[in-house]
Amino acid sequence: MSAEEVAASTPERHAIGISFGNSHSSIANTGADGKPEVIANEEGDRQIPSILSYVSGEEFHGTQAKAQLVRNPKNTVAYFRDFLGKDFKQVDPTSAHASAHPQQHESTVAFSIHDSESETPNTVTVSEITTRHIRRLASSASEYLGYKVNAAVVTVPTDFSDKQRAALTEAAKAAGVDVLQFIHEPVAAVLAYDARPEAKVSDKIVVVADLGGTRSDVAVIASRGGLYTILATAHDPELGGSKLDQVLIDHFAKEFVKKHKTDPRENARSLAKLKLESEATKKALSLGTTATLSVESLAEGIDFSATINRTRYELLSSKVFGEFRRLIETAVSKAQLDLLDIDEVILSGGSSHTPKIASVVGAAFPETTTVLAPSTSTSAINPSELAVRGASIQASLIEGFEHEDIEQSTHPVVTVAPHLNRAIGALVISAEEHHGIFRPLLEPETAVPARRTAQFATPKEGGDVLIKIVEAAREIHSRKPEPKPKADEKKDDDDEEDDVSDFTDSEDEEEEIREKKWKVHTVLAEAAIKATKKGSKVEVVINVGSDLGIQITAREVGAQGGVRGSVEKPATAVNGSA
Amino acid sequence: MSAIQINLPLPLLPAGWSSDKDFKAVGSLSPATQRSLEPVGPHFLAHARRKRHQRTFSEDER
Ligand SMILES: Nc1ncnc2c1ncn2[C@@H]1O[C@H](COP(=O)(O)OP(=O)(O)OP(=O)(O)O)[C@@H](O)[C@H]1O
Ligand SMILES: [Mg+2]
Repeated sequence: MSAEEVAASTPERHAIGISFGNSHSSIANTGADGKPEVIANEEGDRQIPSILSYVSGEEFHGTQAKAQLVRNPKNTVAYFRDFLGKDFKQVDPTSAHASAHPQQHESTVAFSIHDSESETPNTVTVSEITTRHIRRLASSASEYLGYKVNAAVVTVPTDFSDKQRAALTEAAKAAGVDVLQFIHEPVAAVLAYDARPEAKVSDKIVVVADLGGTRSDVAVIASRGGLYTILATAHDPELGGSKLDQVLIDHFAKEFVKKHKTDPRENARSLAKLKLESEATKKALSLGTTATLSVESLAEGIDFSATINRTRYELLSSKVFGEFRRLIETAVSKAQLDLLDIDEVILSGGSSHTPKIASVVGAAFPETTTVLAPSTSTSAINPSELAVRGASIQASLIEGFEHEDIEQSTHPVVTVAPHLNRAIGALVISAEEHHGIFRPLLEPETAVPARRTAQFATPKEGGDVLIKIVEAAREIHSRKPEPKPKADEKKDDDDEEDDVSDFTDSEDEEEEIREKKWKVHTVLAEAAIKATKKGSKVEVVINVGSDLGIQITAREVGAQGGVRGSVEKPATAVNGSA
Repeated sequence: MSAIQINLPLPLLPAGWSSDKDFKAVGSLSPATQRSLEPVGPHFLAHARRKRHQRTFSEDER
């Protein structure tokens, strides 16, 4: 076929990024300038509730559908993403208890809803609901962009099964959207940050904490030269913003009971009203220090209005905030890392707007860890938009690829790679393994083949220098600070460690000083650069092959010649899979 | 990735150090662990291109 024939037979592909959560979905487009733009739907929402509702045969979507949770819960389908591609028996229906209930239907999950004007309800599968939802999202994107969107990169949680992916692919296809690739939500968040024009590619360990509405997921990611490897994940299918809504629901309900002797939680409609308004109050408390909740005719025709301040809210929610913190710590320990190893924490998902969550998480990490959240960093990206931004960047990168190309590139033959167990670098100041200071060029968990270049300073007067390339492991050292004058002599060394971390701001406790140190494991090679000039620099390039053989080149910057050599691959290159 | 800048100086060559071509291989790396890269972002695309066409970093840059 000639190029013209192809153009005539296949419509042009226009891909966007889609994030599809149980609570919200978002759409974004990345144009030629590489800048993602999150698209607002016709109602002006960028976080579009993943909800559909039917009133006398008319379909409502997003915020309008969410409002129907009060009046018309039985014909309103909400929080359904995690029902897709599952057997009814595997489904946790808890979050849908105040909307259309999931039911078993053949081998899948369905809802019985009045989605037409007919008297009898229809059985609508979760797959069909998803198709309708994606159709609305794609149509909002097409409307805004002025051309028909027909493809997408879609974000999914790290524990989304092949069956769930297949079901989502089918559902999207039925909506006229060709899923080019699924990418993991936390990786999309890292990409959203790394794609900013001011970002520099660097080696860092990043924790992405995606704190959502009905669930929360954490991933520990090694980011090495722009390549990403997930080291560990932790999931809590019940922890999310709805637990914080519940804190406020209970608080306001108790106030209402005190005044009016009736509990709004006991009536479904009153509860739905209170939930909707409590969520709005919670969001207001992320920005302001007080917020007011007012509900017309909350229960038994009584209007209700009350104010709460942020401190009170934070006190009532401290248990839930602690659960978010612990989930993050669990992920770090599953990766067999120390909190000191974490360079960056990206707070993602709607609940990450909560200032106290960012500060509780920040306090758990050492000061060397950067926490990226709206309340801790002015350069933070809106946490609700991270996943969709990453998806749209990926969409712009692969829009022009054939499906077969994408499949080949995402195949294990290409994605599975040996990752270094230890760092590779050079000793500076002293050549002795015990006194020399190790500077890494390649960090642990770098995928090979990999190449790094470094420029080293030389001694003050120049001269002959030694480049000693070694493999090193990081160790955590802890020591007691210099004893304070009044310190209690009898304190027991051994069983303090655990207690101290929980009381970081207690002043009497002697906090241990913990630090990361490199310990030389093996010397790999030595090279000499002779007669370096005063003030010159030496450039070293290390190239590690997929067989773990190493090529090293070194030269004085600006000088002729240089040294070149190689280090044999080890007898066994790979320790099996992780 | 741009060059890493290391401001502490390299040590002086110990007296008596000598080797053919000024280079000496001493040991080998310890074994690595197989893990999956996330197929996402521009650097992964470059990685995939190198791997699928069996190119080295410098061949890829040409
Ligand atoms: N400004 C805000 N302050 C506090 N919480 C907020 C704010 N904005 C959104 N949220 C909360 O974030 C949660 C939704 O997060 P998000 O949109 O990331 O969820 P999701 O990934 O779509 O859903 P799920 O976790 O259910 O799959 C809701 O509980 C919402 O109330
Ligand atoms: Mg989510």
